[in-house]
Amino acid sequence: MPTRILLVEDDAALGQQVVETLSRAGFEPHWVRDGDDARSLQPDEYSVVVLDLMLPGTYGMDLLKRYRAKSEVPVLILSARDDTADKIRALGLGADDYVTKPFFPEELLARIQACLRRPNLSSTERIVVGAITVDFEHREVIASGGTLSLTPVELEILSTLARRKGAAVTRDALVEAALDPAQESSRRTLDVHISRLRSKLGENAAQLETVWGIGYRLSEGP
Amino acid sequence: MKLRARLALTLGIAAVSLLVIMGWAQSRWHSRMRVDALAEAAVHRMESGGRERCEANPEGWPTPRRDAESRRRAGPRNHRLPPHRLFAYDSSFQSRNPASPVFPTELAQQLGTGNDVAVSRSDDPRRAQVAVRMPWQEGPCAIVLMRAKGPPPWFSAAVLMPALLVALVVIMVALFAAGPLVRRVRQLTESVRRLGSDAEAPIEIDGNDEIAELGAAFEQSRRTIEAQLASLRDREAALRNYIANTTHDVMLPLSVLQGHLVSLQQRMEAGETLDANAIVPSIEESQYLGSLLHNLNAAARLEATEGLAHRNTVNLNTLVERVVERHRPVASRKQVALEMAVPERAVELEGDLTLLEQALGNLVQNAVRYNKAGGHIAVVLRGDSRSWSLDVIDDGPGIPEEDRDRVLKPSFRGTEARTRHPHGMGLGLHIVSDVARRHRLALALGETEGGGLTVTLRPGLDT
Repeated sequence: MPTRILLVEDDAALGQQVVETLSRAGFEPHWVRDGDDARSLQPDEYSVVVLDLMLPGTYGMDLLKRYRAKSEVPVLILSARDDTADKIRALGLGADDYVTKPFFPEELLARIQACLRRPNLSSTERIVVGAITVDFEHREVIASGGTLSLTPVELEILSTLARRKGAAVTRDALVEAALDPAQESSRRTLDVHISRLRSKLGENAAQLETVWGIGYRLSEGP
Repeated sequence: MKLRARLALTLGIAAVSLLVIMGWAQSRWHSRMRVDALAEAAVHRMESGGRERCEANPEGWPTPRRDAESRRRAGPRNHRLPPHRLFAYDSSFQSRNPASPVFPTELAQQLGTGNDVAVSRSDDPRRAQVAVRMPWQEGPCAIVLMRAKGPPPWFSAAVLMPALLVALVVIMVALFAAGPLVRRVRQLTESVRRLGSDAEAPIEIDGNDEIAELGAAFEQSRRTIEAQLASLRDREAALRNYIANTTHDVMLPLSVLQGHLVSLQQRMEAGETLDANAIVPSIEESQYLGSLLHNLNAAARLEATEGLAHRNTVNLNTLVERVVERHRPVASRKQVALEMAVPERAVELEGDLTLLEQALGNLVQNAVRYNKAGGHIAVVLRGDSRSWSLDVIDDGPGIPEEDRDRVLKPSFRGTEARTRHPHGMGLGLHIVSDVARRHRLALALGETEGGGLTVTLRPGLDT
């Protein structure tokens, strides 16, 4: 079932663009142009609400208050105003995030996906990242069906990356988690450990990416 | 009514009232004295031959002529006696003279209780009556009744004339004394009236009285209004300046954008096959326009206030994420890798969300804008809320060491910042520098290992 998204936006051109962007991204957008019309809608029927603050009829802030009173649906604010007070007020009223106009379609999609991700309760027992599964309970890593034989340092590095799957993790954070941060040589040996880890991952080595200027990332794969 | 006339009238009325009250009090005192005088005069007259004449002719006594004569004669204490008439009665209050009135009961009662003199003071002073029991207490002339007649003395010209004279003098003095006062009030009125046409003329009233105080209060208000007006004019000028600068700054990238689009259209018309990358400069320029407007807005707000207008808890992790996602569309089209890393626990600081986001956005945007295809940018947040650092690292062209201090100088007033970096980089960095200063953050520009710019923000700037 496609994810339904409620868009409350009065501008015809912008609204049309957002609807197209959302449709292309596989969402099912429902576009309402008037704040008063939006009042009668049930926010719980949508996975995300994208709300313009400057609306004819009911002011966006009132709509936000109204939705928040009866639903926990994530609300993303579209704001043309570069006004901190407005943003702080919207966030204070329970908005989850905001996007300042002008924005690229990708930025809006990224924010919507972040809203959808929010109740992300990753398992504490095992995390699956693409073809790699990290089993915390049994302290083992399974890649492409086979259990890898890893040293404790390599396991700790991979666990740290898996816990933050998809996100870049700094070298400092990895050294802190898996090596002795007090030792000056630790930072250099990290690269050696990663290199060995990659060779053990074999065909899945590409999932362990080097991130320029930061460190490493465990991604879902190409 | 004018001030001077009102003052004179008030003082005149007060003087007349005071004199009338004094006259009335005096007349009361006089009338009391008169009773004694009348009583003594009656005894004196009867003893000096009056008794004999009365007893000799009780039916006709007193003769009107003698009565008039007696009025002119001075009494024993040299009191001028008021006009009065005498009537004689025996000890049982009966008169032989048919012209005599019936003896007043009130006086009879007073004499009956043993008094030798009885006085009747009615509200009308003209009806004052005095009865005196003579020492001999027998015969038809044992009791003498005296009746005053004529107007009460306090209506006399003797009281009214001085009252009128004093009132007149008081009014004259008041009119004369009010002169300088009135002149000062008029002077103040003129000064205040002039305010309407020339707000810069000061209001000056000499002296240390209430009028001078009033003048000083007016002058104080005038200065306040003058200052407010000046501040309004300054703001208006700043706004005009802002609009002019904004227009100028926006026209440039807009022209570039139009140029890109027209060139694309012409190349397509000429039958040239364009790859998708050809449109990237237009996209970048349009994004730059948006961020330029945000920067101009931020600059205007920073110029309008000292310190921070808003102070809330800002989550730097989400801020970094939001800024990176905002610039990723342009970066990826330019084939510049834009990455970020934040610690697991949120780093928080107190500050202005919009300004911090704008500042970080400027750093990232500059890194994207001046980088080339295949370049890298990393935004890295480290540490915790107490001690953190935020690096924007790129492998672009960097900024020569000798220029680094200059581009951070926290001043974007005038056009200096814009002309120095025609494409707006200056304005962006100045905003970063100013926002950092206001959040007491240290801002450092350094060189990336292997070339490029690394900008670091961290708490702990000593002002």
